[in-house]
Amino acid sequence: MAFTGVGLGLRRPHMEQVAALDVAPVPFWEIAPENVVGQGGARHRLVMGILERDDVLTHGLSMSMGGFDAWAPEVLEQLVAFLKATGTPWHSEHLCWSSFGGAHTHELLPMPFTREAARHAIARVKTLQAKLPVPFLLENISYYAELGEPEMSERDFLLEVLEGADCGWLLDINNVYVNSVNHGFDPKEWLAGMPLHRVAQMHIAGHTWLEAEGVLLDTHGAPVVDPVVDLMAWVLPRIGRPVPVLLERDHEIPDLAVLLAEREQLQAAYEGALAGVAHA
Amino acid sequence: MRESRLAHLQSAVLDLAFDADAEAFRADPATWAQARNLVSADGRTLATRHERWLLYRDLIRTTLEDPLADTFPITQTLLEEASAWAECVDAFLASRTISSPYYREVAPAFVAWLAASHWGLERWPFLLQLAHYEAVELEVLWAPDASPAIGLSAEPALDRVAVLDPAARNLAYGFAVQLATVEAPEPPPACARLLCHRDREGAFHVLELTPPVSALLARSQEGQALGPALAELGADPVEAFALLREFRDQGVLQGFRSA
Repeated sequence: MAFTGVGLGLRRPHMEQVAALDVAPVPFWEIAPENVVGQGGARHRLVMGILERDDVLTHGLSMSMGGFDAWAPEVLEQLVAFLKATGTPWHSEHLCWSSFGGAHTHELLPMPFTREAARHAIARVKTLQAKLPVPFLLENISYYAELGEPEMSERDFLLEVLEGADCGWLLDINNVYVNSVNHGFDPKEWLAGMPLHRVAQMHIAGHTWLEAEGVLLDTHGAPVVDPVVDLMAWVLPRIGRPVPVLLERDHEIPDLAVLLAEREQLQAAYEGALAGVAHA
Repeated sequence: MRESRLAHLQSAVLDLAFDADAEAFRADPATWAQARNLVSADGRTLATRHERWLLYRDLIRTTLEDPLADTFPITQTLLEEASAWAECVDAFLASRTISSPYYREVAPAFVAWLAASHWGLERWPFLLQLAHYEAVELEVLWAPDASPAIGLSAEPALDRVAVLDPAARNLAYGFAVQLATVEAPEPPPACARLLCHRDREGAFHVLELTPPVSALLARSQEGQALGPALAELGADPVEAFALLREFRDQGVLQGFRSA
């Protein structure tokens, strides 16, 4: 299977509707193993039926790649079994930390932009990669504040970890945009010079402006805005390959038909951006 | 490694997120950071960006409070009426007992914390049982499927035990938690023996059992054969077997195996 085009995150409110279809209404789905593994029952079987029928990419939420807490053997076993069962060509996680001292925040928290933190993240990525049956991708996150005094920029930190871990990049284009607004930089300049050859997948999503705090929040709770679509269209020819783009929606989830219509619009922008690019 | 600058920073963020009172951080973030052994440059950065780190505190707490509100609407109503829900959630988060990487485990962690901490039990002796009952629906609906029933008989017999479906729960409460509602959240003090299970279509069901039937299933779970159990309970085997066959047909029981 070739993963390309614009896919959609498979979400619980849409499961029954999606399962009832004869064919997938999208080129591929993305799903978080944490929301599926170790479960049973009729609704679980519904999900597994969809994943068996359709092409799927997996995306983890809570491995705390920059943290210190060890991964429980049963969690790793369940993850590995799930990746094999879905046939995903790769698995992704965020460059962040989520737990410390055994306490989980279930939030994507920024790493300090330091050499020590980069070394630590690189080691964790390499350790996890060695345990997985498929290549591993790291995703750049939205961050709202630096954690501690930075020794480098967020961009250079990401670059150092990607190169040091020698892993693939899940380029979240909305996160680049959100960070550019919150931290005042040009997202195209930010992307230029980054190792786009490492990009295997992209994420695109909506965000929310918090007036009181004066911050753009990566909520995945609204439609994608035009500047983010434009940024996707700008970077795709520079990547030079039709890498799959995943539309994320985790809050204020609308009817499936609404999301499919948004996906169609993104697909048109995707094809327009790649028209004329000779694919390797 | 835990003494590293990175570990100190992550530890400090956990303090900020989970400690019930953020006032000390809000009032003087630099001193707050100093007390957590952050190097001075890191403390200064945290102080400069303290409003954004308070935003992170809100994000983390909202993320963890959402499944509590979704899973425990009756418990929440009960405690909100006593202006104690926020205090309860604060105490739970301060316990730092959410350890699973699976988000669905936040609600079970709350029940486990209530059981371990005895929070509120003096004032609301039914609190733990009520919260346990509210969490049981999700536990049953998403419990792993049974392994194929190898060596199980479809028929009850005196020398066999009844085998519960792994998703079914045979529960005994000291309060009638099944009668509690958002409108009347306090359950009456009356024993409740409840069999919670899911059907083959995935729907959740609660059966109210008589004391002998509940005890019969409990004894089967402990490995006692139906014959001696029925004799000790003074129950009629014909009647009991008819009920057990119904349970089997409903998927409550996987079947019967030799004791």
